[in-house]
Amino acid sequence: MSTKRKVTKIILYVLLIGLAVAMMVPFYWMVISSLKLNKDVFSIPMRWWPETMHPENYSVIWKKLPLVIFFKNTAKLTIITTIVQLCTSCFAAYGFTKCKFIGRDLIFLMYVTTIAVPWQVYMVPQFILVSKMGLNDTHIGLILMQAFSAFGVFLIRQFYISIPDELCEAARIDGLNEFGIFRKIVFPLGKPAMATLTIFTFTNVWNDFMGPLIYLKTKELKTVQLGIRMFISQYGADYAWIMAASVCSLVPIVIVFLSCQRFFVEGVAASGIKG
Amino acid sequence: MKKRQLMAALMAGAMVCSSLTACGSKPAQSQESQGGGSGQAEDAKSDQAADSGSETKSDGGSGSSDEKQVLSVTTWDNESSPQFQAVIDAYEEKNPNVEIKIIDTSADEYNNSLGISLSAAQPDPDVIWVKDMGSMLQMADKEQLLPIDDYIAKDNFDMSIYKGAAEQLMYNGKAYALPYRNDWYVLYYNKDLFDAAGVEYPTNDMTWEEYYELAAKMTSGEGSSKVYGSHNHTWQALVTNWAVQDGKNTVVEKDYGFMKSWYEECLALQDNGYIQDYSTLKTANIHYSSVFKNQQCAMMPMGTWFIATMMQSQEEGETDFNWGIATIPHSKDTEAGYTVGALTPIAISAFTDQADLAWDFVKYASSEEAAEILAKQGVFTGIPSEAAFKTIASAERFPEGDSNVEALNYTHYSFDRPLDPQIEEIRTVLDEVHEMIMIHSYSVDEGIAELTERVAEIKGWN
Amino acid sequence: MSSGKTKLTSRQKRQIRNNMTGYAFILPNLIGYTIFVFIPVVFSFVLSVMSWDGSQRPMEFVGLANFADIFGDKIFRGTLVHTVSYALMTVVPTLILALLLAVLLNNKLKGVAIFRTAFYFPYIASIVAVGAVWNMLFQPDFGPVNEILKFIGISNPPRWVVDKDWAMVAVSIVSVWKYMGYYMIVYLAALQGISNSLYEAASIDGANSWQKLLYITVPMLTPTTFFVLIMLTIQCFKVFDLVYVMTGGGPGNATKTLVNYIYEKAFTTWEFGPASAGAIVLFAIVLVITLIQFSGEKKWSKDL
Repeated sequence: MSTKRKVTKIILYVLLIGLAVAMMVPFYWMVISSLKLNKDVFSIPMRWWPETMHPENYSVIWKKLPLVIFFKNTAKLTIITTIVQLCTSCFAAYGFTKCKFIGRDLIFLMYVTTIAVPWQVYMVPQFILVSKMGLNDTHIGLILMQAFSAFGVFLIRQFYISIPDELCEAARIDGLNEFGIFRKIVFPLGKPAMATLTIFTFTNVWNDFMGPLIYLKTKELKTVQLGIRMFISQYGADYAWIMAASVCSLVPIVIVFLSCQRFFVEGVAASGIKG
Repeated sequence: MKKRQLMAALMAGAMVCSSLTACGSKPAQSQESQGGGSGQAEDAKSDQAADSGSETKSDGGSGSSDEKQVLSVTTWDNESSPQFQAVIDAYEEKNPNVEIKIIDTSADEYNNSLGISLSAAQPDPDVIWVKDMGSMLQMADKEQLLPIDDYIAKDNFDMSIYKGAAEQLMYNGKAYALPYRNDWYVLYYNKDLFDAAGVEYPTNDMTWEEYYELAAKMTSGEGSSKVYGSHNHTWQALVTNWAVQDGKNTVVEKDYGFMKSWYEECLALQDNGYIQDYSTLKTANIHYSSVFKNQQCAMMPMGTWFIATMMQSQEEGETDFNWGIATIPHSKDTEAGYTVGALTPIAISAFTDQADLAWDFVKYASSEEAAEILAKQGVFTGIPSEAAFKTIASAERFPEGDSNVEALNYTHYSFDRPLDPQIEEIRTVLDEVHEMIMIHSYSVDEGIAELTERVAEIKGWN
Repeated sequence: MSSGKTKLTSRQKRQIRNNMTGYAFILPNLIGYTIFVFIPVVFSFVLSVMSWDGSQRPMEFVGLANFADIFGDKIFRGTLVHTVSYALMTVVPTLILALLLAVLLNNKLKGVAIFRTAFYFPYIASIVAVGAVWNMLFQPDFGPVNEILKFIGISNPPRWVVDKDWAMVAVSIVSVWKYMGYYMIVYLAALQGISNSLYEAASIDGANSWQKLLYITVPMLTPTTFFVLIMLTIQCFKVFDLVYVMTGGGPGNATKTLVNYIYEKAFTTWEFGPASAGAIVLFAIVLVITLIQFSGEKKWSKDL
């Protein structure tokens, strides 16, 4: 029995290691290619280990590519969008669950009917609108267009519903006003849902490609993704540089991901189950 | 579209006076151009300057106080070519109270992003460098450009310095732009690669057949160290240009049969591996300048704007191989010196809040003084003059040897695309069919049949 | 709200105050949402029956001409075919692999977290970097993928992204690789919800692991599988960036998808009418899938 279990365990490990290696091969190839000379990237036969290291590729692209600016832009967009989204969603969710007012259900219905509409359906009129406001090619335009989502309201609302109304009633009797109840009771209790929404928004905005592609044209405003894309279209034949730039673009997200991995995984699981 | 008749009349007029932009050192001798159009090489210019980049010194919005006026201009790939910055710097120096705000985008996004700010009727940019004639027509048609006739009249501005090029830029009888630059196609080659192979450099009198042979001879190696004999970027202009080089046809025709042999030759080059595969270049989005700079091709037909790019690249130490310029090859039935080119106009946005200042800048940018400054950087301007030509040829980083200077001469100049009100629409068709032919989705005959049919549809010929 | 009818005025007052506070809470989101989502959604329908190029010229009502236009356009019909074939090639492999990985990781093993990270990581990696590296891996003449294929004896491997028949396959492979980690996590969460007692009971009955997987795990995961199926399908119909960075819709139009078409119509040729008509088609497709999801969810909730 125990030897059988050992065997299954070994098989399991072999399988998992094999799969994990297969999944990581592209990243490995990216890193070693970034350390090769351009002409050696596609050498025949293939080399899985560069004969000589050329870390100077990194200093070259560092000079050619204002990565710091791109990272700053991306971080700015991501952080502000996430915060705005989080705040307004929590407020609205509280309004929808703990307050009673005329038209509440009607307004909520509006949210419900549009939640399933993909952004790609309305991105064109949305873009026209934002441009008419003179906000195209600005960070504000991009932030505003992403900061208000029905999904966020929905997610937080689902959580707030589970907070018993008696808790709020009791606080009301204690003389707390609505904002006080929100701030002191409901908001702190809603932290798990907020963590989920934060991770969700964070990954989406950080990795968003199409939004910045449409909205941002000035180089100084571009995000990492657009910056790298631009670099690739200029230096298409400089394979090693492209790989070095790609590696650089992944470093911050790797750091964020590894340090907050637990939240990422829990966030996906939570938003996934809720649907 | 009601303006079509007027357009036709204008074109006819232009054809008669045939005042083509005779740029370059020698005045163009036979200038029957194509429909008097100033074609555009959207593609070709689409990246005039190679690498993109920018240098947006943007601080401050539009002119707020009386001490410093801010003028915003749009540029593309400003970092890799001095073509804009040199003039901007000179203007700022002359007018210390004016600050130029540069809105830079990469070449392939340029028209797109410009269209966005114009359709939103934003006050910025004030001054627009128009990448190609087709988009200038489109913008003029959408009334997004400011007619400059009044300014020309008021300042008594002498348009004759452009030797007819300015008139080429008129639309519906109104002037919307001045010619800033003029470019035509030449053949670039990598001297080091030719030396290493022990092959004679391309000459200034080569037929296309000789060029094909040379491309075959210069192809060597494999893997990522393969050197291709030549390099054709993905633009359709790099096939269709040679088809209209003799000036007998344009890219707007009722029958595209004349393109057949050119496509066959290009496919032959590709299928024999003498030039890089179209789909590889297209899907990997590979810029021609990185191919030439990486010494992956021995020759490359490209516009004269690439001279400034190469000179800057050598100046910055990015590349250090020896390179040269030869006249673009010609077909058997024409003599050497036939080339194809296009103009780069400079215009004012219809929504500018600084119209007078913008005009002043436009006037300066296309003046003889600016031309002299640009010539030092290896840029050919809309003002054809012997002096400017000499300046370019004697620039420090310009390739040594008389043949390189002679290569810049031409005897006949055709616009790559005619001034046709529907040229942008037709260009889309040309691009699509070009791609289908190059990836063997269509046979050459199928492609030509589709071109003929779809262009006729656009022009209302059937 | 339980105050009696006798204090009508104070009740009214309270109601007004309640309304005010309620609106105060939802207003920040409501305003933003109305302007940036709700109005554009409505406007999208309006634009789909208009002709407009984004210039100062007024738009013109053209009825259903835009729809007739796009359905008459063989490029548009092509995008529908490509999008569906992408979905077909992506959905099922992603689903199966995600489930497989989740089941493997659901064992009590040392280092599970490391494996989980490895599988999830492609999902986090930026699409541009991923596209760049895969484009090189798929390089037809000397790329690693084809070198390996040649090594194992396939003398004439496909030319992947530069071949119009294989480009979509290549994109699908990358898509499966990139997204399966995400759905693996979804499955893992669902697996943890399956009560251990079921497995214990099965063990007592002498079921082996394979049988347990087949007769307990898979059926218990049906609602999750259904959810993943729906999400994946919708995601496939919205695909843009992966195609854009890998092939740009080419070669020819071989990998052009519905959203690529909308993007090009809107932002390169300024034909807002046809672009919006395309967007409405996308909306209709997603709507149908969502309706299927709703009816499915009803069914599961009845069953469970």
